[in-house]
Amino acid sequence: MVVAGAAGGKTLTVVVDLRGVGKTYVRGSREVTALEGLTLAVDEGEAVAIMGPSGSGKSTLLSLLGCLDRPTRGEYRLDGILVSTLDDDALSRIRNLRIGFVFQAFHLIPQLTVAENVETPLFYAGVSEAEGRRRALLALDRVGLSHRASHRPAELSGGEAQRAAVARALVTEPRLLLADEPTGNLDSVTGEEVASLLESVHREGRTVVLVTHNEALARRAGRVVRLRDGRIDDARESRT
Amino acid sequence: MSPRPLVRLAGRSLLVHKLRSALSILGVVFGVAAVVAMSSVGEGARREAIEQVGALGIDSITVRARPGSAGPGLSLRDAEALAAVVPHLLSVAALREAALVARASERQMDVAAVGTVPSYERAARVRRARGRFLTDLDVKERKRVAILGASVARALFPLSEPCGERLLLGGDWYEVVGVLEGRAGGRGRGGPIRTRDINRAVLVPLPTLDRGGDSQPDGVDEVVLRLGESESVVEAAEVAKRVVGRTSGAAVDVIVPREILRQKERTQRIFNVVTGAIAAISLLVGGIGIMNIMLATVAERTREVGVRRALGATRRDIAAQFLVESSLLTATGGILGMVAGLGGSTLIQGLAGWPTALSPWMLLLALVTALGVGIGFGFYPAWQAAHLEPMEALRHD
Repeated sequence: MVVAGAAGGKTLTVVVDLRGVGKTYVRGSREVTALEGLTLAVDEGEAVAIMGPSGSGKSTLLSLLGCLDRPTRGEYRLDGILVSTLDDDALSRIRNLRIGFVFQAFHLIPQLTVAENVETPLFYAGVSEAEGRRRALLALDRVGLSHRASHRPAELSGGEAQRAAVARALVTEPRLLLADEPTGNLDSVTGEEVASLLESVHREGRTVVLVTHNEALARRAGRVVRLRDGRIDDARESRT
Repeated sequence: MSPRPLVRLAGRSLLVHKLRSALSILGVVFGVAAVVAMSSVGEGARREAIEQVGALGIDSITVRARPGSAGPGLSLRDAEALAAVVPHLLSVAALREAALVARASERQMDVAAVGTVPSYERAARVRRARGRFLTDLDVKERKRVAILGASVARALFPLSEPCGERLLLGGDWYEVVGVLEGRAGGRGRGGPIRTRDINRAVLVPLPTLDRGGDSQPDGVDEVVLRLGESESVVEAAEVAKRVVGRTSGAAVDVIVPREILRQKERTQRIFNVVTGAIAAISLLVGGIGIMNIMLATVAERTREVGVRRALGATRRDIAAQFLVESSLLTATGGILGMVAGLGGSTLIQGLAGWPTALSPWMLLLALVTALGVGIGFGFYPAWQAAHLEPMEALRHD
């Protein structure tokens, strides 16, 4: 199912392409296998929820998908680029330009204003300050936080902080939005706010992968992948 | 990545812990202040030495009768013998000295009356501002003519042209025929180089200066020799000592300004080494303080490092961030230390009366060193931050 992509007529549609990926950690003298033989493809515009009990390898998978770590076995292509063999600097660049992160605990940098937090990825991308500020304000406007631009993260409510984090994740227009329990630290009302924001991001055509324990949130993604003991539980993969 | 936002970011992070940042740079502040203050004392001493020696001339030798010694003093015969024997001689002049009071109309001044010969102008490198110097005829005919030092001319004849005026010097009337150029510094404050303040001198022909009851009519106090090349002063001094020993056997001191300068330079070098050692130790201590605080900062901000790495910061970006922070700390410390050092140097000059001087190079060096401490001691913490595993750093709490 190769469909012409929107950008420049390329025919890339698979954003995430994991083939036989495994990850083994060395903990002291013993080896711990966190992931084993994982094959997963996420198409452009898809929203995938990854679920699984603690210790099933969710976090490891997330760090691999987010290029925060490299697999010990197998191949990972992100947006057609074989990233499993890239060096640290190249991975940093991939994270910077092609991946947006949303964390459970928001992870805004406390000494920066909201706008500066949103600008941070652009700063590392080498975008000029003026242009960075302009794009940050646009991103904040998109999540309805323009009026909070010059506030400190500590002055925001949990929901606002997570929306600011989404703005930061989207400011570089990444190919892949990775969300790790995005509503985990929020009450049901603000959680719903953030969930519908992510939904609208997805509807605009962005590829979203989220890791969650929350069944309700997971069902709102088009596809649920369940992990068990470091493997994909094929029997329980569901698409809606 | 441009440096301006980095510096701003570093400043902001440091201001989060104002007291901690301030305390952490104290070591650098004191270190730099000590270096600046001490080097200003050293530089002051060095400039004073050069000034004193410069007043005498690096290519000159002074043979002076040892004060208070019994036996024959120096005489004109010694001067003649020296003129005949000492190699590479450019000029030689004998002089006799007396502390007298000079008067003109209502004004008076304590002056150093110097009886000498025409060659003194060249031997002691004095410069005329106006009029003429002594001539052979003045000496031969014992003319009562005087050449005034700049201060004397100003004090006795503040409004009128001194040349042609008359002044009373130790009971005799003299006609002023010339005025010397003022010479800065060279006011000997004790120490091995007792320099005559030429500004407060009145020069008269040698035989004219009457000190009353001279034991030797041709006795002199000092013979000034100037050599064609400054390299030969040591050799010339040896020769001079032997010559005087043979001719009159007078007890003399041979003063070689060049050697005194050398000696001072040696002392200076020791002073510099000690200063440098103290500076190094205090900056080491200051640097350890900085490293300590930066390690604490990195530990405290591990999660921030993780977040920044996730957002695309390379290891180099992270290292740069912390290095800019530690450099900003020590540069601030350096500037504060410089201000404190300047204050200390002024205080030393005011309270102890030591001359102090500051070379801009010293200030620049202090600042560069402070920056170097920031980079040097900030390097390990920055490296540590840069090599945190992004995923582990993110999970850190």
